Amino acid sequence: MNIFRRYLKLFVKKLASMQTAIYLLLIVGAVSALGTLISQGQAPAFYIHHYGKPVAFIINGLGLGNLYQVWWFLLLNILLSLSILACAYQRLRRGRKISILASLLMHLALVFILMGAIWSLGLAHDTLLEVKKGESVSLFAYGFPEGTLTLNDFKIDYYPDFQPRQYTSSLTLSAYKGQNYEEDIYVNNPLKAGSLKIYQSSWGWVMQLSDLSSSAEKNICLKERESYLLDEQEKISIQAIFLPDFVDSKTGIHSQSPIPNHPHAWLTILQQDKIIDMAIIPLGEDAELASCHLRFDSFDTYSGLHIKQDSGVYMVFAGFVLLLTGLGMRYGFEYLDKRGSR
Amino acid sequence: MENSLMSLLFILLLLATMLNLARLWRPMAQGEFFSSALLYIAVITFVTILVLRTSTGGRIPFANSYEFTLLFSGGVLLFAIFVRRGLDSPLFDLTVGLVAILLLSVAGTFSSEIRPLMPALQSGWLYAHVATAVIAYGSFALAACLGMVYLAQTGESGLSLSALDERIYKLVVGGFTFLTIVIITGAVWAEEVWGSWWSWDPKETWSLVSWLVYSAYLHARRNYNWKGQKSAWMVIIGFAIVIFTLFGVSLLLPGLHSYL
Repeated sequence: MNIFRRYLKLFVKKLASMQTAIYLLLIVGAVSALGTLISQGQAPAFYIHHYGKPVAFIINGLGLGNLYQVWWFLLLNILLSLSILACAYQRLRRGRKISILASLLMHLALVFILMGAIWSLGLAHDTLLEVKKGESVSLFAYGFPEGTLTLNDFKIDYYPDFQPRQYTSSLTLSAYKGQNYEEDIYVNNPLKAGSLKIYQSSWGWVMQLSDLSSSAEKNICLKERESYLLDEQEKISIQAIFLPDFVDSKTGIHSQSPIPNHPHAWLTILQQDKIIDMAIIPLGEDAELASCHLRFDSFDTYSGLHIKQDSGVYMVFAGFVLLLTGLGMRYGFEYLDKRGSR
Repeated sequence: MENSLMSLLFILLLLATMLNLARLWRPMAQGEFFSSALLYIAVITFVTILVLRTSTGGRIPFANSYEFTLLFSGGVLLFAIFVRRGLDSPLFDLTVGLVAILLLSVAGTFSSEIRPLMPALQSGWLYAHVATAVIAYGSFALAACLGMVYLAQTGESGLSLSALDERIYKLVVGGFTFLTIVIITGAVWAEEVWGSWWSWDPKETWSLVSWLVYSAYLHARRNYNWKGQKSAWMVIIGFAIVIFTLFGVSLLLPGLHSYL
């Protein structure tokens, strides 16, 4: 018991030393920098292929491929927070001068930011939804407490050279904590409902096709780059690329603008990921592909909405305010002191 | 017009470099006057480029790598006017000129075409983020230039070594405060635009590394009395990390800031 107490005391003493705090600060910096040199979030096989077995063994063993979420990096951050707190406490015992209080405020701010980040990591919840115009989605089904989200409209504004100027989704969020929200969101302007935020994140084309192969006509709703299984037994699937302003020129088949002036669907039929047939169909027309008879009925856009619920961010932002206040006090008063003593 | 002014800026800086090299070799009676004059004309040229670009593009030129590097270079020259007060050092003027030439040369490798703002950049936070970055990185650049003057210890700078050290410290305090604001404005903006205030994007991470290095400088100075040569070396290393954050990361480690 005595040995345990002795080691605990030694640990606390070491943790409260400024030297430990600076070392931890530099170690966190160095480890963070290391994370930028290794591609993050890849499967273990990726590292074996790119770095060779010995290096990949270290990367996978230490979790360097997911560095910013790995347990020991979080532990390092917690140790740094504790060390900063202990140092701040030691400093407070030395007196109540403004510079000391300011320094305390700055260090507390860092602890706020680190704790807020850890809070977000553990408790924040987010998802990406691709919603078609007029579609309603229950947020409960995606792990949020309540609310129904409807995409009333989605539009893209372009500059004259067809560079996107802005993406705008008109949303209705109903029955969320007893309130309804109706807002146009765009990049840099999310919908905010308490700690729930909805961001304009991406967009894409969606095509409506009819499968006329059998007597019972079947409707197919296909997003770009998405696969739709046509025949489960034969493993036949279909993929589509939308060409809003189709042109077949010397340079090849392409879309000359993002405006749907001449809409075509480029359909590809695959069997077990192997292309067996393809065709480009104008809007309203049909074609025979492999053993399928398909018609291109209509098209529209969908909006990619990033939905996030995160209370940790308030703690982080409070930390930012404390940090700026502390910095202003610490160096502002130092400046005034020096001017006064001159 | 802008291209001609850019060439003029280059010529002015090259002249200043040659003049200050000559001053280092052999002191000149009117050397300081001519070096100052070249610096002032370079700053006026830079401001004219900025005004021209603003009127042509219909927006403040804060939006891409070319514009940021140009601002950074001009910022270094502008702040140098204030930092060199009471300092008569050809080495300082030489290093400032070389840093500005280096930055302008890097700017020359980026496209100078004025493009409209993409949706992610259409935010007031862009201006706060970039303006504070120019002040922070400009301060660190000048601190590194003074660090070199300190290490050369020529004793002919017009300032005592302790006064030089104090000036370096003030620049680091200013740079550190503004770097903190850069990181905070970037985080608040990222929360508004990407829905994540921190993504461990290489540029974010390396700006945090710079922040940690300068924070270590301030702690070491206050608690272990790291002054003089050690602190001069630290500000030079710190600026090397800043340069890597700005240009090395963009070239070698693409991430969320890749469009810049």
